[in-house]
Amino acid sequence: MLRDVLAQIAQVLTVLLLSPLLQGFILRYEERAQRSRGPSLLQPYRDLRKLFRKQLVVPDTASWIFWTAPIVAFTAMLTVPILIPVLTNYPLPLSDMGDILGGGLVLTVGTFFVNLAALDSGSAYGGIGASRTVMITILAEPTLILVFVGITLMAHAMLPFVVNHLLVANPAIYWGSTHLFLVAAFFVLLLAETDRLPIHSSTHIEVYMIEEARVLEYSGPLLALLKWSGMMKQFILYTIFCHVLLLPWGLSKLGTVLGVAGAVLAILIKFGIVACAVIAVETTQARLRFYRYQEPLAVAFLLAVLAIVANQIR
Amino acid sequence: MNAMLATHLDPLAASLFSLLTIASLLLAFVMLGSRWLKDYMLAFAAQSWLIGMLSALVGYYGGYRELYWVALLTVLFRGIVLPWLILRILRRLNTARELHEILSTSTSLVIGAAAVIFALVVAMRLTADLHIVSNVVVLALTVMFSMKLIGFLMLALRHEAISQILGILVLENGIFLGAQILVPGMPLMIELVLLFDLLVAVACFGVLVRYLLTHIGSTSSRDLRRLTG
Repeated sequence: MLRDVLAQIAQVLTVLLLSPLLQGFILRYEERAQRSRGPSLLQPYRDLRKLFRKQLVVPDTASWIFWTAPIVAFTAMLTVPILIPVLTNYPLPLSDMGDILGGGLVLTVGTFFVNLAALDSGSAYGGIGASRTVMITILAEPTLILVFVGITLMAHAMLPFVVNHLLVANPAIYWGSTHLFLVAAFFVLLLAETDRLPIHSSTHIEVYMIEEARVLEYSGPLLALLKWSGMMKQFILYTIFCHVLLLPWGLSKLGTVLGVAGAVLAILIKFGIVACAVIAVETTQARLRFYRYQEPLAVAFLLAVLAIVANQIR
Repeated sequence: MNAMLATHLDPLAASLFSLLTIASLLLAFVMLGSRWLKDYMLAFAAQSWLIGMLSALVGYYGGYRELYWVALLTVLFRGIVLPWLILRILRRLNTARELHEILSTSTSLVIGAAAVIFALVVAMRLTADLHIVSNVVVLALTVMFSMKLIGFLMLALRHEAISQILGILVLENGIFLGAQILVPGMPLMIELVLLFDLLVAVACFGVLVRYLLTHIGSTSSRDLRRLTG
């Protein structure tokens, strides 16, 4: 029992501490793929340390939402790792607080509060960022729900652990068309939700900004919290993608120290593979025009529908 | 009697059949989602190769000798000759893509998804009424109906004459795919007639395109609004 509690704390710590490394890996090797040198792998950690030491400047127009939003976002990202299989492939003591939909809800609460904060200070860029984020969310959310419905129909359960066990135990389901379509649909969502091309811009010019524009008013420790929660959101989505859909292997079965260490090592390898796929997309794709944002998301929607149809005829 | 083969399949054959049919449905969606005429042609060629493989597999598992010939002819005519003819027409055209779209790509993809769901419902009702308990039959019916609907969508939503002929070809591919799985014992003669039918259609089309280009200068149906004697 104590071991399970410790494993659960280790899950949260893994997400907290490794998420800047994932960001650093993507930034570095994307630059490398484009034949430039790229920042160090540890650069996101250095950025965070620098921001935590800086002075905090608050706009005159800001209300209490400005203060609470980063904390709510950060707390939400600390909550989700309790619910999903990060290190162990069996439910830990508090894992049954919520299913896949519950995890999605907590993730969205963070986004919602950052949107409120972007509108709160009344700056033009914050408003643009918030409205664009909401538009993308409106386009992406039906697909996300459909992917969840597809997973539920495939595994007859809404718990991520059940899906994980099912995919490990049944290669026929793993290689079945339902599962492959769901993986493809979720990959598109992953790109859209973690600020990647073809929707998000890779250059930081205000006109193209989406996620960045929302936090333009923040500085110092609050900005550090927001950036960190963004990286943790990315890490959490990678975790769901890998451990519930694409690569369900390499998790600790008993929760021993050795097993957890092995699971961390496996996470480094698995996320490295997915990050390489993301880097390939980022390098080959150009940013889409604003009015063509719905195209990749429509493709994801279509794939999710096909997954559900294929599941009915399995 | 008709669906005898499809109702008694071993699991490997069933999964291969589903894989090929779903992949060809996906290629139909590639055609529906793209704007470039060359992409339509390539997707159609790939789809025909998949259907050729499917008929060879049906021939292997069902013990129909003549289906090997059908597979060979399908790959040869639909997979090589028709795309080559279309490519020749494309080279002569001065448009590489659809310029004016009636519905945006994403809208047509979502309508296509709705069409697939409709096809699934129809297929399930049909098989339930016929008392056929086979997932391969339902899948084949679904893919057949949805490819027909996608073909109709392409015919209705596209202006360029090339995309319209490719819409007809997709429609025909859908029927052919369904027939291969559901009624595998079709006589070779009918297949030959169908293939030559298509060949003649595309050849006539080449002549028509040349005529349109010299007399009107465009093959878009947007420009063909006036009846002239």
